[in-house]
Amino acid sequence: MEKSIHKDQVERFGSILLEIGSLLMSYGANSMRIRVTLNRIAKAFGYNLELLITHRALMLHIDDKDDQHSFNQLKRTSPHGVNFRLVSGISNMSWRIVSEKWSLDEIEKEIERLKSLPHYPRIIILLLVSLADLSFCRLFGGGMIEMSIAFGATFVGLFVRQEAVKKTFNPYICIFFASLASSLISGLAVKFNLGDHPEYAFATSVLYLIPGVPLVNSFSDIIDGNIMNGIVRGMHGMVIVLSIALGLALSLLIYQI
Amino acid sequence: MTVLSIFEHMLWPALASIGFAVLFNVPHRTLIVILGMGAVCGLTKYVTMEFGMHVITASFLAAIVVGFLSISAAQNKLSPMYVFAIPSIISMIPGAFSYRTMLGLIQLTQDLNPDQYVEVLHNVTSNGLNAVFVLLSISVGVSIPMLLTRHESAREIVALVKRNP
Repeated sequence: MEKSIHKDQVERFGSILLEIGSLLMSYGANSMRIRVTLNRIAKAFGYNLELLITHRALMLHIDDKDDQHSFNQLKRTSPHGVNFRLVSGISNMSWRIVSEKWSLDEIEKEIERLKSLPHYPRIIILLLVSLADLSFCRLFGGGMIEMSIAFGATFVGLFVRQEAVKKTFNPYICIFFASLASSLISGLAVKFNLGDHPEYAFATSVLYLIPGVPLVNSFSDIIDGNIMNGIVRGMHGMVIVLSIALGLALSLLIYQI
Repeated sequence: MTVLSIFEHMLWPALASIGFAVLFNVPHRTLIVILGMGAVCGLTKYVTMEFGMHVITASFLAAIVVGFLSISAAQNKLSPMYVFAIPSIISMIPGAFSYRTMLGLIQLTQDLNPDQYVEVLHNVTSNGLNAVFVLLSISVGVSIPMLLTRHESAREIVALVKRNP
């Protein structure tokens, strides 16, 4: 009887670990971070953990120290956007599990809480990201006119992307739509020669789509020796770059610049 | 190098960092630190480039500075290091180089006479290589503190420093 309770416990713990791992993978943590976090939690509960991390699935094997019970399972990880609030929350949780000896119930409750944490209000995101692109335009050497064009183009482009994501288009297509919308607006400036260097506005109006997290994670994965994951993430980043370029190229074609 | 240009090269990268921080949905408590780190990152890159450093080396240095700053930020604000590091370095993303590379690639597919072709190819190679190396130096620079201390988390690095002051 006691044995079966213990078996349930192992299975439940394994499922929680998989859930945490797949959340980290979906929301932009690198492979080393996933391995370290899961190992930390498993160690706190006295289990051995072996882990296979890939971009779209996690495989996990845990056993307790005396090899009485083990648990194997595979879990698909769904691709999502970057959400550092969740990643940061999970990292803090893993430390507190170690120091405060949490029970499984507490962990499950905390995961639910972290998943329900709010995003920034949509209008704030739109305004601040547009401001970021305005800054990029300024760093390139654009003047007031170019900066305001970059601001407007980003605002519309990001809005288009959010709407496309809501309608669950393919993620790369979402980025293509956004890039096309932004460059169609900033392309008008080039077409009608507004400002001194309208091409600066054109070039910077799509920079908010740059896959910063996949590319940085790709390099850090490769440096850590998770070369397969690094290559996959790098390829993912490259396809995003290609989608951006495709949108730009289509605008160039439409306006015959 | 005037006060105004220094200020500008701190202000704009900082604003860019905040924009991306919000896009990545970082915790509220980290926003102000990311603002500061974006400014320091822009300042480092600007000053080193004013002293005649190449853009690749300058980006590398700025990324290293961000990497070290993010250790103490991670310790104080209880978030993983890259929550601070990635938004802060985003203003150094080689957008101009990539854009010129892409334009050049589009031009290469069109009918060009050999002289023009060589010129465009020259631009594409130079801009493309710069873009790749800036990207590489940023990613390596940010992870330098982790590579040097051979620890994966900020807390372990700080604990290590405290043990061996």
